[in-house]
Amino acid sequence: MPTVSMTVNGKAVSGTVEGRTLLVQFLREHLGLTGTHVGCDTSQCGCCTIHLNGKGVKSCAVLALSCEGANIVTIEGLATADKLHPMQEAFREHHGLQCGFCTPGMIMSAVEMVRAKGHDLDEKTIRKQLEGNICRCTGYHNIVRAVQAGAAAMKGA
Amino acid sequence: MNAPAEHHRNPRNERIGQPVRRKEDLRLITGKGRFSDDVNWPNQAYAVFLRSPHAHARIGAIDTRAALAIPGVLAVLTCKELLADGLKPVPHVPDAANPHEPNLVSPPGFKEMIAPHHVLAVDNVRYVGEAVAIVIANSVNLAKDGAEAVEVDYEVLPSVSATPAAAQPGAPKLWDSPDSNISIDAEVGDKAATEAAFARAKHIAKFETQVNRVTGVPMEPRAAVAQYDTATRRYTLHAGSGGAVRLKQDLAKILDVPANDVRVLMDDIGGNFGTRGMIYPEFGAVTWAARRVGRPVKWTCERSEAFLSDYQARDLFCTAELALDAEGNFLAMRGSNLSNVGSVPSNYGQLKKGVEIMTSLYRVPCAHFRARGVVSNTMLTRPYRSSGRPEVMYIMERLIDIAAFDFGFDRQALRRRNLLQSHELPYTNAFGMVYDSGDYHDAMEKAFALGNWAGFPARRAEAKARGKLRGIGTANYVDTATGVPRERAEITVHDDGRVDVVLGIVSNGQGHETSFAQLINEWFDVPIEKVRLIVGDTDIVQVGGGTHSGRGLRLGSIVMFNASNQIIEKGKRIAARLMECDPSVVRFFRGRFSAQGTDQTRTLTEVAAAAQRLPDLPEDLRGPLTAFSDETIHIPSFPYGCHVVEVEIDPALGTLEIVKYTAIDDVGLAVNPMIVHGQVHGAIAQGVGQALWENVHYDAASGQLLSGSFMDYAMPRADQLPSFTAEFTEIPCTTHPLGIRPGGEGGTTPALGVMINAVVDALSEFGVKHVEMPATPERIWRAIREAKNSPKRPATA
Repeated sequence: MPTVSMTVNGKAVSGTVEGRTLLVQFLREHLGLTGTHVGCDTSQCGCCTIHLNGKGVKSCAVLALSCEGANIVTIEGLATADKLHPMQEAFREHHGLQCGFCTPGMIMSAVEMVRAKGHDLDEKTIRKQLEGNICRCTGYHNIVRAVQAGAAAMKGA
Repeated sequence: MNAPAEHHRNPRNERIGQPVRRKEDLRLITGKGRFSDDVNWPNQAYAVFLRSPHAHARIGAIDTRAALAIPGVLAVLTCKELLADGLKPVPHVPDAANPHEPNLVSPPGFKEMIAPHHVLAVDNVRYVGEAVAIVIANSVNLAKDGAEAVEVDYEVLPSVSATPAAAQPGAPKLWDSPDSNISIDAEVGDKAATEAAFARAKHIAKFETQVNRVTGVPMEPRAAVAQYDTATRRYTLHAGSGGAVRLKQDLAKILDVPANDVRVLMDDIGGNFGTRGMIYPEFGAVTWAARRVGRPVKWTCERSEAFLSDYQARDLFCTAELALDAEGNFLAMRGSNLSNVGSVPSNYGQLKKGVEIMTSLYRVPCAHFRARGVVSNTMLTRPYRSSGRPEVMYIMERLIDIAAFDFGFDRQALRRRNLLQSHELPYTNAFGMVYDSGDYHDAMEKAFALGNWAGFPARRAEAKARGKLRGIGTANYVDTATGVPRERAEITVHDDGRVDVVLGIVSNGQGHETSFAQLINEWFDVPIEKVRLIVGDTDIVQVGGGTHSGRGLRLGSIVMFNASNQIIEKGKRIAARLMECDPSVVRFFRGRFSAQGTDQTRTLTEVAAAAQRLPDLPEDLRGPLTAFSDETIHIPSFPYGCHVVEVEIDPALGTLEIVKYTAIDDVGLAVNPMIVHGQVHGAIAQGVGQALWENVHYDAASGQLLSGSFMDYAMPRADQLPSFTAEFTEIPCTTHPLGIRPGGEGGTTPALGVMINAVVDALSEFGVKHVEMPATPERIWRAIREAKNSPKRPATA
């Protein structure tokens, strides 16, 4: 089986994978980074969203082997040792999560949204951009608040 | 990590009623949660289920040789091994009697159907996706290869999946013994009085509907890992559920072993909504397989598999009539409810908890309903968020709007006239349910005001100028919360100030670690960070009913309150010893015991330490400062409220926008209003989802599931929903010592009715009288077209 090497959360990692191994499987099963979740099998739910070379992608739709040399950030890599990422803090402050299963994907998508759309996000933009992340608990109400606040807080961070 | 936010620092800000930020969030926002699939045990093997491709078939020979020949495939287990090992069916209790609810009793001579729900299909498969074999291998992919190599001879049989069709005489029968697929046939209410009232009615509003089948879709798919220890002969299962103790007891029954031979563990649980509340066949199969192969066995459900095999819900066919006098007073209600229970009758909660409150919060002197269940070639249906109540609230609220439409009443006026007044409470409804307390008119008027009903005509005119159809609707609701009656709490105060609470209720996202700790903070003045809930290990938790039917905080708070009071009473006696005074003069306030008339005080921690340290205390005070309360509480609770929604429809496309959603819910006492609001938001989304988009669709001819993925099952998404205007009222519940009513289901309960009422109102200018759920753009578009083509006849879609 071939070997793949990449940087995950700032650390060089490598592993032997099958051709069909998905990036999300590599992260969860080979690296033990279980913060990235699998909520579906059709790339619809967004629970597995991570950052691949600075862009938000669904890691269930990427083959691990295609990530040779890539720079990956997962939910585990967002906070520093002593400080939460402003988007994480905003989700806690605004009750943007209940069961917490979709949350890592939501937060990674929200950070991607700020990269793509800037810090001043109106509700309509946030809702449109979150269309690919499904949450069953919150009705999205507080997630929208959290993303808006987190995006603004990232400006100063 | 960051310093705790300001509201965490002062325990005074963690009391009941404060919007305390959640303790559990830190791990969940950093990827440190521990969900079922995150758990792996050394040397584990992997399970995959082979599932039936047919809705109904007789199983002939099963050839497993090719599968077993694949290197890495360890075992293929079928009904043959299941029967040889004596596995028992899933121990469903279709109708749990409660003295405060009417019993569903079939007439003499009618044999209520009892059918086994085996862990693997025996003899026949009765729905698409029913598990036929479990394949164990060294990897998931190998197990999938093995499942593909199993050959099953099926003799395909005629099937029936749709609700009224399954109940017809001559429909394909699922089980051998009874005459038809009807599994229960009960009547509730007073037939003679109801008929008499209908005979003198001036108006009779009529409604027939098929409430669509949906499913809870927790975002975390089910997963389980199990092992068997040959030395202790004990099974251990790690799997998320609504409660650890019930799962343990049910698993032991399937395995046919004493309950203490089973240990169940669970950590973070990614949603439940009732769907995850009961044991699943797969949990039994995986645990059994672990013993068979002598290794831990893990199974992770895929989403498409979940759509086949997660418990489903609702699916009620109803005909109902409401009798009114000339002024619009409700005189009586009658009808028939037919609940599609799936292939096996497993829980009549949806049927019973609906039919017993058909009349909702209105003054309806008499009523009579038939309540039937019917089996069909579909996955089993069971309680899902507010089990049974959203359906009947929708029926009642549609009947009121239909009465207004047909007989020229004002929708608000009809509701104001018939809604129960506070002075009429407690009120016994026509089925014998006793509503305890509340101010229903206050909630309704607040919803009308907050939803700005008065200003609607102007907004409708403005929308019309833009070519859009604007509609407004309202729905009152009452919710009956019952559930497993027994709960137990054991509280221990440690000598370092920590407090442990052992409880049979697990959080499925409701934030128990925070709100339950707020109770302890209120009573003991202990910071919530020092309170630990212990819920997910049955070697510690011995009793408890789990999380469902609004029972978590409702029953949990009662047993925690009782145990806390015992701790305080014990503490007073210990403090008296320390302060050398009589226990009768000791007071406890804000975490301190004080001896009246002196300046002596002792903290709760000091008293807990003394309990450990002093050798000569009476026996009941010695050792850790601990107490338990074990209560069986049958009395239901009745959350209520009123929602108003405004929609805008594009008549050319049938597309709909929810312009404003207003919710007033009464929760008695909101322990953490932030969490309660979050519950309301999510509950509304699930109700709106059923009303507008979600549908479990079985093809009527083949019984094939056509809504098998997120591509086909339309989940509510962020861009389809508005922000909600949600407020609550807090009229203390008089049957609860703290005044608490459940807050988790209220959002869903009126959401079906309020949405359809608003949709129909938007289409009223065309004479559209009803649109069935889900009210998709296609259905709305067709309703408009059909109404336009037959202007004299009100249309139904």
